Amino acid sequence: MNELKHIFKDTRKHLMTGVSYMIPFVVAGGILLALSVVIYGQGAVPTEGTWLYDLFFIGVAGFELMIPILAGYIAYSIADRAGIAPAAIAAHVGNKMGAGFFGAILAGLIGGIVVYYLKKIKVHDTIKSIMPIFVIPIVGTFITAGFMKWGLGAPIASLTNNLTAWLQGMSTQSIVVLAIIIGLMEAFDMGGPVNKVAYAFVILSVGEGIYNVPGISAVGVCVPPIGMGLATFLSPKKYTEEEKEAGRAAILMGAVGITEGAIPFAAADPVKVIPSIMVGGAAGAVTAALFNVQCMVAWGGLIVIPAIIGKIGFLIAIAVGAGVTALMVNALKKPVSERIEKDSISNADDFSVTIG
Amino acid sequence: MKIVGVTACPSGVAHTYMAAEAIRRACKERNIDVKVETQGSIGCENYLTEDDIKDADAVILTKDIDIQEADRFKGKPIVKAFAGDVIKKAPSIVEKLVQYIESTK
Repeated sequence: MNELKHIFKDTRKHLMTGVSYMIPFVVAGGILLALSVVIYGQGAVPTEGTWLYDLFFIGVAGFELMIPILAGYIAYSIADRAGIAPAAIAAHVGNKMGAGFFGAILAGLIGGIVVYYLKKIKVHDTIKSIMPIFVIPIVGTFITAGFMKWGLGAPIASLTNNLTAWLQGMSTQSIVVLAIIIGLMEAFDMGGPVNKVAYAFVILSVGEGIYNVPGISAVGVCVPPIGMGLATFLSPKKYTEEEKEAGRAAILMGAVGITEGAIPFAAADPVKVIPSIMVGGAAGAVTAALFNVQCMVAWGGLIVIPAIIGKIGFLIAIAVGAGVTALMVNALKKPVSERIEKDSISNADDFSVTIG
Repeated sequence: MKIVGVTACPSGVAHTYMAAEAIRRACKERNIDVKVETQGSIGCENYLTEDDIKDADAVILTKDIDIQEADRFKGKPIVKAFAGDVIKKAPSIVEKLVQYIESTK
């Protein structure tokens, strides 16, 4: 039981390991998919048989693969290499049922834990060598994928569906409320699971021919990094040299719609940064909703401007969101000189030396 | 005295390298030999070899995500910290390690 506690204590590390391996799939899949739709120019999936349809297909492949990759590397973080196959297969099974990201996270955790304990089973030396080749992959996959297929897959799928239906219901009632929710969700974990839930809804909207939701999202995803970059320019005294460097990188990442650009700031100072980017993200998203900004692709940042209807409103919305983020975070942050003083008082007691 | 470290972070583009730079700077200020490996999104750079680790008196590892081949450091004094903390507090981590190394000599 102690080991299980240990695994759960490191949940954040396991999830982040999975996310770190997933990010290139999201970026490659998302950009190529968006590119095919943008070049096609009709705001829809390109017609079959054209090279653009093939490009679209390549992008979709990246998106489909990120689910098993996320789960596989969550399990990898828990149970090392042996965890990858059971969790990835289980996540794929869950995804076919509609369990999506939630399913992938669960499959990763369960697969990791199952394999972790399978590896603990003491066996006779003669069959020791077949454990990693046969027993662990087969039994591990059977348990983990079976759990998704016959256990939690369907409930999670309906949870995801309900969430989507609820979000869709909102969009007719009050687009502004929806914009606030999307803005908050996309900024909250900067490209993490919560952001991706909102993003999954955006992909779904584009598929349904709803373009105001992706318009809102196109602003929401780029406000956190651009806002933080802007903040480093507005109040250089409140940021270290490294942060200013990261700020310039963040603006670039925001321009191409990668919310992760804000992570360095948020990880260094979550209490001040995350609320700021959430409020800024919501402000930008609401502005986009009020200007009725429409986007033909499920991506964000300045890079999608060819696919935007209401380009002026789009730019104003980004400026509003980034401005709110920057002003709020700078109002909360103290100058670097005061920060360092505080740090040196709270010495390194929390960093304990262990023998590895 | 020699300190080695490995840094990694979820997106592997900024934090990894900022933390590595912070460790390098903190060690250089105290004239400590230092080598830091980065496991960013483009992969492993500045790989720590067996010899590097054998000579090292202490190890700093980030704990945001899994460090690959962490078993290389078996038996070494290790400090594990979040990359964000390393960036902000590398000098105090190094200070702590120096005290530890001197106390065991």
